[in-house]
Amino acid sequence: MSQLKGKVAIVGIGEVPTGRFPETAAIYHAIESAKQAIRDAGIDKDEIDFCMPTASLFSPQFNTELVTCRVVEELGLKNCKKNCQVFAGGSSSSCGLQMAGSLITSGAARTVLFVHADRLGTGVTAQGGIDLFSTAGISAEWEVPFGQHYSSIAALSTTRYKYETGCTDEHLASVCVSNRKWAELNPNAFFRKPLTIEEVMASKMLSTPLRSKMSNMLFDGGSAFVLTSSERAKDLPNKPVYILGESGVVSHFVFSQEPDVSRFGWAKAAKEAFEEAGLTPQDMDVAEIYDSYPVYQMIGFEELGFCKRGEAGEVFMRGDTWPGGRIPCTTDGGMLSKGHIGAGGAVSLMVEAARQLMQKAGERQVKDARFAVETATGGTYMDAQVTVLGTEIP
Amino acid sequence: MDTHRKPVPIVNPWARPFWDATRENRLCIQRCKDCNSHVFYPRIACPHCFSDGLEWVEASGKGTLYTFTVVESNAPSAFIQDMPYVVAIVKLAEGVQILSNVVDCDPNELRCDMPVEVTFEKLNDEFTLPKFKPVKD
Repeated sequence: MSQLKGKVAIVGIGEVPTGRFPETAAIYHAIESAKQAIRDAGIDKDEIDFCMPTASLFSPQFNTELVTCRVVEELGLKNCKKNCQVFAGGSSSSCGLQMAGSLITSGAARTVLFVHADRLGTGVTAQGGIDLFSTAGISAEWEVPFGQHYSSIAALSTTRYKYETGCTDEHLASVCVSNRKWAELNPNAFFRKPLTIEEVMASKMLSTPLRSKMSNMLFDGGSAFVLTSSERAKDLPNKPVYILGESGVVSHFVFSQEPDVSRFGWAKAAKEAFEEAGLTPQDMDVAEIYDSYPVYQMIGFEELGFCKRGEAGEVFMRGDTWPGGRIPCTTDGGMLSKGHIGAGGAVSLMVEAARQLMQKAGERQVKDARFAVETATGGTYMDAQVTVLGTEIP
Repeated sequence: MDTHRKPVPIVNPWARPFWDATRENRLCIQRCKDCNSHVFYPRIACPHCFSDGLEWVEASGKGTLYTFTVVESNAPSAFIQDMPYVVAIVKLAEGVQILSNVVDCDPNELRCDMPVEVTFEKLNDEFTLPKFKPVKD
């Protein structure tokens, strides 16, 4: 339980397109996203009293700039009292939101700017990216020496999930198709051409049964949001997006120590988050489920309670999660189609959840969306973070 | 096989007995003298009851294949020459899980929960890695 229900709200969001921008400095993705978020919030920039950048992975030098107040100086945030990095890998969105919310409810901060930027598309080579992700977050003693890397990790989950549920490769591919349908409507997404199950099935095998079009790709990008008290939010132009419920489960560091690689801690985290919100999965208008690989989106979707275990494949295949479907899922296209930008994968999902609830999602707007759930996980699926958001407080 | 470029385990001092044992083709894990749980990977205190009373015991080397994958492309640089290779999580008879490679097998015949047993592959004079192979009937 976050103890934050209804007390704080996202009031502004910003995001730059995901892609490859070799001529663009990494800091641009941070400050442009932050600038948009502050303007979107309708506040004076000098209201920001706490700047919370999360980490960038492509360059220690750039990350040090984020730590040492570059965003604050570039934007001229005159009343900023603290610039402090909050980083939990892929779950930085939920963890950062809870930290920022707690600072606000305690009185330690009034208005927090949370910002992410990275340059994994052009800041590292393709093989460099594979090599980075064969060591980052992977145990140097117990897994690196065996050729473990993120594709093999996702494949290990997929093999077991298929074995336990009867999920087919076509079911996995249908998650990629569903996310692509949303990305087609998202100007900030990288992959916007229609995708078919057949195209996914014909793509190169990486680690069985995982194919290349079932894998996220690394890009440059950034996003940001502004969080303040619900009281302050009432005077601002956007519909406040309140935190309604939040919880998490930390399960492992070394992937092979996870006792259930086809479930993880989602069910417990979700139960607690929905209970705090006083809502159920059936109340959600939008499900922003962390993807990175199709199996993790299916597991998250099922464990949160949107369908029974083993049924996600059929649900994604028949279009329930597509634009216009019964339960719109991962509506920015996710890391599979919008693109993976590091710790920002879930930050942009959080921004998308807020965007949908603010009714600002353009062509892909889910009509009258009031409640959304966002999930995030970091490292080698080390944790399960669930956040329930809404424009009403039940 | 060119192995000198392979990443060697970065050893924590309290795990040294594990690697000393594999060099002698023995698979050793910890057991807690207080709660009797088997523990892997090696810890400084029992992760179940928090006791300091961890001792080293030789494992059976038998287990089942919890899950596996055959890496066919996009491997880390040091493993490109090994493709295709099998990465797997083995659940040992003692109840603990370990990541390794499955060797001496036809990858097409691997199935979840099939029985496997330990075998050892020397990496260099300092390190021997525990690997697993299907149990032959």
